[in-house]
Amino acid sequence: MGSSDMTQDILKELFNISVGRAAGILSDIVGQKIHLNVPNVKILKASSESYAIDEYIPMKKNGTLMVSTLSFKENYTGKASLIFSAEKMKTFISLCLQEEQSDSDDMDFNDVDFDIIKEIGNIILNCIIGETGNLLNISFKYTLPEVRLFNAMDFKYDYRNMDNIYVLILYITFVIGDTEIEGAIIVDLSLDSINDLLTRIHKLEESLYD
Amino acid sequence: MIKILIVDDSVFSQKITANILRKHVEQSEIYFSADGWDGLKKYQELKPDYVFVDLLMPGLDGQSLIKLIKESDSTANIIVVTADVQNHVREEIENFHIMSFINKPFTDEKAQIICNIMKEKDNGKQ
Repeated sequence: MGSSDMTQDILKELFNISVGRAAGILSDIVGQKIHLNVPNVKILKASSESYAIDEYIPMKKNGTLMVSTLSFKENYTGKASLIFSAEKMKTFISLCLQEEQSDSDDMDFNDVDFDIIKEIGNIILNCIIGETGNLLNISFKYTLPEVRLFNAMDFKYDYRNMDNIYVLILYITFVIGDTEIEGAIIVDLSLDSINDLLTRIHKLEESLYD
Repeated sequence: MIKILIVDDSVFSQKITANILRKHVEQSEIYFSADGWDGLKKYQELKPDYVFVDLLMPGLDGQSLIKLIKESDSTANIIVVTADVQNHVREEIENFHIMSFINKPFTDEKAQIICNIMKEKDNGKQ
């Protein structure tokens, strides 16, 4: 296995561990077993590889997206976004409240819905980012979580024009009971932060051969 | 009657924590705050037996709230319920001599652990 393959393998395994823990937490919230696929992880340059980002978020080609965001500052600068199709979010909210979902196709979200999505997004992103930080000895200083609805095209514009150059993408699918919810996590990082992350992974890689 | 104050900016998490506590703590009076400043005001007014505090909140954050409560009442029984899983955050917060540090979501199992600690405490009214 070459060095970059090994870096990719380590990165994938680190996120696999943290996403696994996030699935456990989600399972506690909805009171059901969660099946989770092994996340695909990629580091991409946003400006020149935006087409590849599109491929990683298949559900964003049309419709509305619900995006939960947790930003961090100080030693590590960037933000993590959890992206789901808004269409699935009504089902997800019902699962979180452990309620039967109504048959309506209502796509209006009220304050309670936003509060739930914000809090669940906060819990999942904290778990994925925080656990990865624990494994790599990185500390994150978070700002308040946010949740926003985006038209898919606006979202595409938003991340192509973001401040940070590099993005780390995880494509994940949660299956909760009979419901499959596909989502993506985009972590965009400043150049300094991505360099530090890769240095830490390389050190971890070197320690395997000590 | 055991007075409990829950300080959390998420109404969803407030409800989860309160519903589980009601199942496990008989004769409880539960109060809510959605941010740290309101939490501090309610703490001073109500003098609750236990305070459940989230960390990431608008205005006064959970860590600053804990610091202010502990400065005025070093015996305050504070339980942190947070989404933050970082080890260094836990270590930093535990330096304030809190009762427990719990990761969200609050569950029956976690509530049972807290109730056992409450029962062991001299001022536990269970």
